[in-house]
This record gives sequence, structure tokens and C-alpha cells, in this order.
Amino acid sequence: MLDQLGNGLLLGIIISVASVALSLLYGVTRIVNFAHGEIIALGAIATLFLSSPIDYRVLFLDKFSPLGLDFFLSCILAVIICGLFGGLLELILFRPLRKGNVGNIAVLVVTIGLSIFIRHLYLLFATGKVQNFPLELQRRQTYLFFDMTPRNLKVLIIGILVMILIGLLLTYTKLGKAMRAVRDSEELSSVSGINSDNIILITWISSSMLAGLAGVFQATINDVRWNMGFLILLLIFAGTVLGGIGTSFGAMVGGLIIGILVQVSVGLPFMEGHTEAKNAVALGIMIVILLFRPQGIFGQKERIS
Amino acid sequence: MNKTVLECNGIAAGYVKDLNILQGVDLVVKEKEIVSIIGPNGAGKSTLLKAIMGLINVSGGRFYINGIEKTNLATHKIVNEGIGYVPQVANVFPSLTIEENLEIGSWSLNKQQKESLKQIYDQFSLLKDRKKDKAGNLSGGQRQILALARALITKPTLLLLDEPSAGLSPVAINEVFSIINDINESGVSILLVEQNAKRALSFSDRGYVLDQGRNAYQGKGEDLLNDPRVIDLYLGKL
Repeated sequence: MLDQLGNGLLLGIIISVASVALSLLYGVTRIVNFAHGEIIALGAIATLFLSSPIDYRVLFLDKFSPLGLDFFLSCILAVIICGLFGGLLELILFRPLRKGNVGNIAVLVVTIGLSIFIRHLYLLFATGKVQNFPLELQRRQTYLFFDMTPRNLKVLIIGILVMILIGLLLTYTKLGKAMRAVRDSEELSSVSGINSDNIILITWISSSMLAGLAGVFQATINDVRWNMGFLILLLIFAGTVLGGIGTSFGAMVGGLIIGILVQVSVGLPFMEGHTEAKNAVALGIMIVILLFRPQGIFGQKERIS
Repeated sequence: MNKTVLECNGIAAGYVKDLNILQGVDLVVKEKEIVSIIGPNGAGKSTLLKAIMGLINVSGGRFYINGIEKTNLATHKIVNEGIGYVPQVANVFPSLTIEENLEIGSWSLNKQQKESLKQIYDQFSLLKDRKKDKAGNLSGGQRQILALARALITKPTLLLLDEPSAGLSPVAINEVFSIINDINESGVSILLVEQNAKRALSFSDRGYVLDQGRNAYQGKGEDLLNDPRVIDLYLGKL
């Protein structure tokens, strides 16, 4: 079971970053974004397009040549592209819906439709082939008591650093406090002098950049697929709910726990030969935890008065 | 003669397009005045405050703040015009600490923020003692005090209060009204919406009675308290 801990930490950091992004967006806008998985995939697909060698023509139905940029630069650009895409979604779609007082359920259905639409655009343009970033293969090494490649260790460290940065941003900066204020009440924030439209736009951009980063992580550790975001969306929701809906700190921990549980459960005796059922154990444990702590691990009960 | 801080001329506004709650309301608040708005449920009292704050769209009429027209100005910009607002419900940020609530209240202040925070703590020692507590853990009366402090931190010239006594115990109501009186004596004009009409009118310089989104009566607080038409309609036997 211990040999799966490294894989668990890696899956955990992917889900953790993506869960924080989802939780941040839900907290501020009350939107349950089913298209979150597609923004994750955009991070990976954009990195693949930007970094693959120019003569590498499996992508985009041979119609477009990849750019052959430096891999690290490609990752940064891809994350920025995801942020811009999220901002655009807010400006052209979700802000008009909000101003039109469209209900939460209707907006949820819109995000489901958007998810299916974008996912199938990827299928059309990025093909259904499983592809890999242009990176050389590396051997796994032992760090403390878990095994992983040096590259994946970097992913883990960057993921942890990003989580710490997000935590500091939300807790101590003026912007972070404004995000939490808009989460509590958009109306009260506005009458306090905050331009809540701007805060919501910044939240969309930040959340989408984090989702894109999760996609880059996932594709670096595994591979690029048109439906890669959709495949882990349920685990991301599970991480968010387990940590406590709307609390970013909870989402960090919840995502990490879910990732570790999924991978470590592979080592359980009754899972031998049934590794495809690994999500079941993690999600089952999530349900049990929620039975005893309905508000999630970090969700707080508030005084009603 | 005191100058006019707020003037509303024929305000028409509502939550849904083409369905106005307010149907031409006139109102004036002068410097250092306490003005109350009373009326039955659905008269449009809270709606008027929301319209002034830009929280709902004004489809007819005009607002003037310190003599300059500000109709349909974006809500976050109204604060910079010297208007503070305390809503009836959800008047604090429950997941933020008391200190963070006050920091958000002083969002538009930039450099003077620390000095303003200090002044508020000097004025409300309860908030200073509990500044690291979550606002969501405060009692109703304590929340109302925090809400008043949050609105005061930008040093507004006019404070709009939507039913500050709603849901409070008699002791807490007395405390809140005493604080509102102190705020007024420091030079801040008050526009007060209250269900407790007797209390509001006896506390105010002038009052407006709204009925079905229109001005019904207006006058000095004491006069309205003794006006038989107002007594018959809203106050009952004193």
C-alpha cells in the first residue's frame, strides 16, 4: 500500500489544486461549474500545442503546426490562456446570466451544456488520441518513503507552493479578503465600496488559471486526453465537498485526501485485479465522513441570528 | 438653514422590469437631520433605500446627493459620495473576522484605513476586544453594532438604516438607538426605515409615511405621532 503513496500524493495534488479552483469559484459566484474539467483539459491541450515540436503533426487534425516553444514557457502561457478563457466566459456568458437573475439550477445546467460542448470541440480538433508532452522518460527514484520521478517531484513541490500562495493570498491580501467578502454577500460588498463585478471576474480568471495548472500537472504525470478533465471531475467534486463546500482550505485538504485514498486503495487486498474500481473506496469513505461531519472537514456551522 | 444632503424627486423603481414598487416618491434629508420612513409592509420603505444605493434600477425620477444628480450611479461608487448603508438582513460578513469586516468597510479609504480603524475601535470597545472573532458568531445586537461601525468607517455624511431594531431584544434596541443618536450628534444625517413607527417618529426630526409606493403624509416626527390620520392608519391608539 505504501508504494502507492507517491502516486496518491501526485493525484492528490492535482485534485487539490483543481478543487481549490472549483471551491473558489463556487464560494464567490455560487456557480457549480461542470465545465471546470474542460478548463483543466485546456491547460493540458494548450501546453501540448505550444510545446510540441513544429513537425509533430498528430495534434489538431494536421491542420495546425504546434509552436515548439520551451516546455516551461508553454506551461506558463497555457495557464494564462486558461485564465483569459475563464475571464471571457464570465464576461460573455455568466455575467449576463447573473444580471438577468437566472437561477442557480439553470446556470448549473448551462455549465453542463458548456462542458459537453467544449469537450466535443476538443474531440474534433485535438482528436481522441492519447498524447504526451514532449518530455524524455525518467526513472522513478525513492524520496523518503515514496517513489516518483524527479519531474513528478517537481510537480508535487510546485503544487504545494501554489497551495501555500493561494492560502496566503486569501487570508492576508486585500484582494483575498474582498473575494471572501463577496462570497459572504455580493450586495453588502458593493455597499462597502467593492466593485463586486471586478472581484467576480478576477475570481473566474484565478480559478481558471488554477484549473489550467491542474491540467498541466495531470498531463505531465500521465497524458493528454480530450476528456481528461471530465474523468477526474467527480473526484474534484468529492474533494471540494469533503473539505467543506466553499472553503478553499478545506478543498486543499479534501482534494489531497481523496487523491491519496484513490491510489492507496489499489493496495488493499480485496482490490487485487479490480484496480478500475479504485474510485469507489475513496468516494465511499467520503460518504462516511460526511455522515459524521455534514459540513465537511473544514466547513463551519454558523450561528443563525 | 441646513443644506440638503439627499433629495429624491418622483422616484419610480422596482425589482422586476415594468413592475414598480415605488411610484413617484419625493424625500429630502438635510444636514444633521434624523428622518424616518414608516408605512405598512410592502409600502416600499426598504425598496427606496435600495434604489438610493443603486441596488435596484431606478426607472423614473432623480436623486441628488449634495445637490448633484447621482441617479443610477453604480453601488460601489455611492459610498464615495458619502453615503453609508446598513441593510436589514445580511448586514455583516459572517465568515470574516470583526477586523476584516471593518477593513472591507474601509475598502475605498486606502491610506487613512488604519487611522479610521483606530477611531472605530475607540468608539466601539466591544469590537476592539473581539476583533479576531468571526462576525458569524456575534449576537443580533452585536452584529448590528458591527454593521453600524462598518458603515461609519468611511465617515459618511448620510447613513441609511434599514430596520436597525429588527429581531433585537428590547435591551439591544435601546443600545442600538443610543448609538444611532450618538452618530447623529457627531454630525451624520440619518435616514431610518422602521417597522416600530412610534419609536422611529419619537426619535426623528421629520418623518415620511409611505403607502403603496407613494408619499402619504409627511411632517415633523412629533406631529406625525399625534396626527389622527397616521394614528388611525398605522399607529393605533397611543
